[in-house]
Amino acid sequence: MVSLSQYLILAAALFAIGVVGVFLNRKNLVVLLMAIELILLAVNLNFVAFSHFLWGMSGQVFVFFILTVAAAESAIGLAILIVLFRNRRTINVDDFDTLKG
Amino acid sequence: MLHIRPVVPEIIVFAMACVILLADLFWKRRFKGLMYGLTQATLIAASVTAYGLRDPRARVVLHGMVVQDRLSTILQIAIFALTAIVLAYSRTYIVERGVFRSEFFVLALTGVVGMCVMVSAAHFLSLYLGLELLSLSLYALIALQRDSIPATEAAMKYFVLGALSSGLLLYGLSMLYGATGSLEITRVATALAALPRHDLVATLGLVFVLSGLAFKLGVVPFHMWVPDVYEGAPTAVTLYVGAAPKIAAFALFLRLLVEGLHGLSGAWQEMLVLLAFLSMAVGNIVAIAQTNLKRMLAYSAIAHMGFVLLGLLSARVSGYADALFYALVYAFMTLGAFGIIILLSRKGFEAERLEDLRGLYQRSPWYAWMMLLFMFSMAGVPPTIGFYAKFAVIEAAVSAGFYGLAVAAVLFSVIGAFYYLRIVKLMFFDAPVDAGPLRQGRDLRWLLSLNGIAMLLTTPWAGTLIAICRSAVRGLP
Amino acid sequence: MTFESAVFYFFSAILLGSAAMVVTIRNSVKSALFLVLAFVSAACLWMLLRAEFLAIVLVLVYVGAVMVLFLFVVMMIDVNMAVLRQGFGEYLPIGGLVAVLMVVEIALAVSPRQLGPTRIAASLVHAPPLHMSNTRALGVLLYTTYVYPFEIAAVILLVAIIAAIALTMRRRPDTKYQDPARQVEVRARDRVRLVKMPTEPKA
Repeated sequence: MVSLSQYLILAAALFAIGVVGVFLNRKNLVVLLMAIELILLAVNLNFVAFSHFLWGMSGQVFVFFILTVAAAESAIGLAILIVLFRNRRTINVDDFDTLKG
Repeated sequence: MLHIRPVVPEIIVFAMACVILLADLFWKRRFKGLMYGLTQATLIAASVTAYGLRDPRARVVLHGMVVQDRLSTILQIAIFALTAIVLAYSRTYIVERGVFRSEFFVLALTGVVGMCVMVSAAHFLSLYLGLELLSLSLYALIALQRDSIPATEAAMKYFVLGALSSGLLLYGLSMLYGATGSLEITRVATALAALPRHDLVATLGLVFVLSGLAFKLGVVPFHMWVPDVYEGAPTAVTLYVGAAPKIAAFALFLRLLVEGLHGLSGAWQEMLVLLAFLSMAVGNIVAIAQTNLKRMLAYSAIAHMGFVLLGLLSARVSGYADALFYALVYAFMTLGAFGIIILLSRKGFEAERLEDLRGLYQRSPWYAWMMLLFMFSMAGVPPTIGFYAKFAVIEAAVSAGFYGLAVAAVLFSVIGAFYYLRIVKLMFFDAPVDAGPLRQGRDLRWLLSLNGIAMLLTTPWAGTLIAICRSAVRGLP
Repeated sequence: MTFESAVFYFFSAILLGSAAMVVTIRNSVKSALFLVLAFVSAACLWMLLRAEFLAIVLVLVYVGAVMVLFLFVVMMIDVNMAVLRQGFGEYLPIGGLVAVLMVVEIALAVSPRQLGPTRIAASLVHAPPLHMSNTRALGVLLYTTYVYPFEIAAVILLVAIIAAIALTMRRRPDTKYQDPARQVEVRARDRVRLVKMPTEPKA
């Protein structure tokens, strides 16, 4: 029998990989967006686990909406990425130095 | 039967956003100012409706998703009014920058819908969706001037950090859901009361939720995006980002921390003390070193949000009222300061360096006096309204027993006064560098003057305004 | 070890391994493919948790649509990956340490001792009705209790459409295209000019 804690620890590990991934991939924006997807996957795993072991369907409904919003968010994020790439011909964050102070 | 009365303002705004989108398709060439006029009419209609639907008793409708109380009504009307002023200020600006497209107005309106959903949220889900609706509209608005390198860079930075902070917030919400078993804010509060005092799951949730919220409000150490976004975005969008969304983010604190997590108030008070102190320190000190006016105002925004937290962390109803009053006053002050930047800008020239304010008194005495009023109000010089707002939040911190923090707040506002007064010195005692004429629409000039005079003339009614804020937060625990 | 825990450990290992690959591998295309693997193994874990509908949606929407979008963008913007990964290794040990610390802290907070027996007992009260499938139960909730969030989600998707089009659509000046409306609206006098000329006198 797999316990709730095991699922939560798995989600925590996934969340940690995502957060660290954001900071490791500060240079590559596409992978950075993927790391954010990992964070959201960890959140979803948390909700599904809580909803299965403890509290019924409401957690699953929340996951449904997180998936919807995340899809919309990726669409806008990639659109901004493309606009930026057209302007600068790079996605290296280090090259984005117009704004410094 | 669904009770949709409380969400009628949101429905009006969204329906009109769709109308504008379609009208653009058919009548773009025939009526040039149509989109602008429709947007302003929508905002006015929505605020009249929100006022008409006001209800002194709090009602939770739509299966516990939406709450209608005085707080939501007042905040919604404030959001409509702020956005209407923002659009009036930026009309000429966006025409000259080639962003006068229907998408600008549609995204501005959907952002308004998002904010309205946030301030009237009674459920984690409506709160999260409102927040995302606002955030997505903002990312797109910032990048809308798509051939501008600073604007697209700012949008990307805001997007990445915004998405990360949404992730943190959601992780926290999932922990709170696990700890309490509910997504409804009032039920979470009841369940928390039944838990043991130091429930680790709930505290863990609180930490992540607070980091997410702190990011959205832009307080130290989650402030990295604020200066870049303020500087990089077109000034019209900076104006939009800096005014109403701050009010909405503040409402998130009230709804989540105060209403939902009151049982953990001891824990979040300690965290807010740290955030408030760091924000006031970093914001005021780093602002001194800035040469870019928009960037300086960004750091000033960080410092002001620290002051807002000062009222919140007292964890008392009177403190919430003071914080709400401060947030509203700040929104109108920041509107005026950025309005002056727009007034001085023209096609191909952005008046965003401190240099550009030099000798404004010789070019236009009237607007130099207006800017003086905004700066005095931000610095908290009596008898402007900003002084009363600062006084109120510091008093709230003192009455809750945070003496050290109150002393620090006074100290930092004195430090902050330096860079506000430096602007006054530049305007009044230096010779002008830029001698271009100030030609902007009449609506901008009148509204800006009104906005400036209000900084001074509302002071006698400060007591009444605070009383209104008190009545708005009366229902909070 | 029961069959269920064997399945759990198998897919957890794949999930964590592929997630780690996503953020550390040099090639962005491979990162995207590992992310697909991570999503599929997460979907299998959700099956274990009886969230069948969400598991299917995760594969259909995420792997089918969002990841294809990611791959499309990665392929479209050809950038020099070697430059992007410079100085990557030096942060890896610190990053790994932070990740481990974070997991240990959260794990302590969600250990079975902390979660407590009272909450486990509550699960019986909230158990979903047995006669309903997961999909049906979700659908019923979505269109009754959660109808307001559902509408807002629709607004969010509309905003995403508007934003994506407004940001990336551009008219290339060198493309030739027809505008049927203008073709239909054309009048004879726009095309043919009748010029009156005096008749030339007879020579």
